[in-house]
Amino acid sequence: MTSAALATGRRRSIRRRPVGYLFIAPIVLFFVVFVGYPFLRSFYLSLTSWSGLGSPSFVGLRNFQVMADDPAFWQSLRNTFVFTGATTVLQTALPLLLAVLLNRGWRAGVLFRTLVFIPAVISLVVTGVLWQLIYEPNFGTLNEVFRTLGLDALAHPWLADPKTVLPALIVVSLWQSLGLFTLIYLAGLQGVNPDLYQAASIDGANGRQQFFHVTVPMLRTVTGVVVILNLINGFKTFDLIYVMTGGGPNRASEVLGTYLYGLAFGSTAGGVPALGYATAISMVIFVLCLAATLIQLRIARRSADVD
Amino acid sequence: MSTDAPATAAPVSPPATTPIRPVQYGRGRRTLTRSAGYLTLVVVSAVTVFPFLWMIATSLRPSNTVFGGPLVPRTLTPDAYRRAWIQLDYPAHFWNSVYVTTATVVIVVVLATLGGYAFAKLQFAGRQVIYVVLLSTLMLPITAIIIPLFLEMRTLNLLNTRQGLILVYVGGALPFAMFLMRAFFETLPDELIQAARVDGAGEFRIFARVMLPLAAPGVATVVIFQFLSTWNEFLLAQTFISAPQYLPLQPVLFGVVGQHRTDWPLLTAALTMSVIPIIAVYVRMQRRFVAGLTLGAVKD
Repeated sequence: MTSAALATGRRRSIRRRPVGYLFIAPIVLFFVVFVGYPFLRSFYLSLTSWSGLGSPSFVGLRNFQVMADDPAFWQSLRNTFVFTGATTVLQTALPLLLAVLLNRGWRAGVLFRTLVFIPAVISLVVTGVLWQLIYEPNFGTLNEVFRTLGLDALAHPWLADPKTVLPALIVVSLWQSLGLFTLIYLAGLQGVNPDLYQAASIDGANGRQQFFHVTVPMLRTVTGVVVILNLINGFKTFDLIYVMTGGGPNRASEVLGTYLYGLAFGSTAGGVPALGYATAISMVIFVLCLAATLIQLRIARRSADVD
Repeated sequence: MSTDAPATAAPVSPPATTPIRPVQYGRGRRTLTRSAGYLTLVVVSAVTVFPFLWMIATSLRPSNTVFGGPLVPRTLTPDAYRRAWIQLDYPAHFWNSVYVTTATVVIVVVLATLGGYAFAKLQFAGRQVIYVVLLSTLMLPITAIIIPLFLEMRTLNLLNTRQGLILVYVGGALPFAMFLMRAFFETLPDELIQAARVDGAGEFRIFARVMLPLAAPGVATVVIFQFLSTWNEFLLAQTFISAPQYLPLQPVLFGVVGQHRTDWPLLTAALTMSVIPIIAVYVRMQRRFVAGLTLGAVKD
């Protein structure tokens, strides 16, 4: 986008209009105060030790040394990667299949699309509370269904068991975002030239071959965007887990977001807020998201070169 | 990416898609695949919708009949809604959400439109640099800056105020909204501006009278996207507001689970009421919703 805009800027030789500064002044002001300054300050805060009262004391890289020896941090990091990895794979592959299916044209296609998209407009708090009730061990709908079907053995305290809590959360994440990513893929499918399928079927390609040799390659840019969005959403995940488990039981679903939030604002940190250390952990989230963004930019540039 | 963002979203909206014909199988095999596909779609939609239907069914139960019994209650009563309305001080929180959301949407639309127009159509020194800096933090997650943001709000005495929450929302939302509006303004021809300048109109007048009306579809997309994300926002509201009288709905809904753990009709009634405005707007303006959210996804 940058180079294109630069090009048009150069092409136009209209005289400069300083009035433009007035148009953008409010945005710049808001940005500096509520995004830019806090962002820059977080770099400094991550190098301090501070309970929030008095003034922060500079400790250099000590927070990062503490982090390296903090089992709770490693646990959160591992959970973040498990959650991100699983959601990225599921929420990239399944929406693609659903989009291809929907794209074949159905009489009730619009209805299907409307229905699967509903969770995307609902808040994560509502989603979280609703699924908490569904997973509830004694009266929750999921276990009720199993019992009704005579599958009592499958009834389970889903969110209370450290072994099942992450998979249970991953299912909710999938339920919530399936429709959104399906629609992104559908938009991509509109751009695929139908002649390609025609040609492939003349060459004798069957449905599966068409999928792997036409659909998948043609959608690689869209797929790249979906993967990166999933990675970033996974790294920064907070709402759903905070609402449903608070990181429990016993940190089994603790992720970086919930861990740092607890350290800074929760009462679980042993009473004293550890703002410096929590900010250092937020830096880890930032670096992970930045890495994902940079990979995305690289891929976008490369595919722009190819096309 | 900037200019083709709306373009990729636009094709989502028209309902009819060009059906891509799979290879011709024998007639029977074809019917079989169609049926399997249809069944898959039905199952996926049913699983998606079931939690909502269950939520509504539960909210209409008398409070002593939640556990056990048939899925669809024999007697329906709005009793839980009445109790949620009164016990949770629902009208006050609902109003807080409406107030914060409306103010945020209005301010974001006004400022993002102004800025988007300037970045698309006005020349000034440093334009490109400022634009890139504004967009550089598009992928920055809120969790990464929540602590310095909290400290800043405390210094500015904005904690525990709805105004403070609005300001933070606006600050966080502006770059992306501006980016969308810029993309829309870029598609409008420069000739209109030049003609208006020849007629002697001032720059602001050209913006407000000539260009803004043409950007209405872009404004609608920003409005819907912003409405959704502000209404649904949880983390900042939960962190910056602790005084019960100023809490918007999302943190209240979160808190309710702890207080009324076993009163499922009340819980589900509270959830249902919070979702009604969203669903109402969604059903009426589906196309724009889809465009707004698929665009939003590129940001979130």
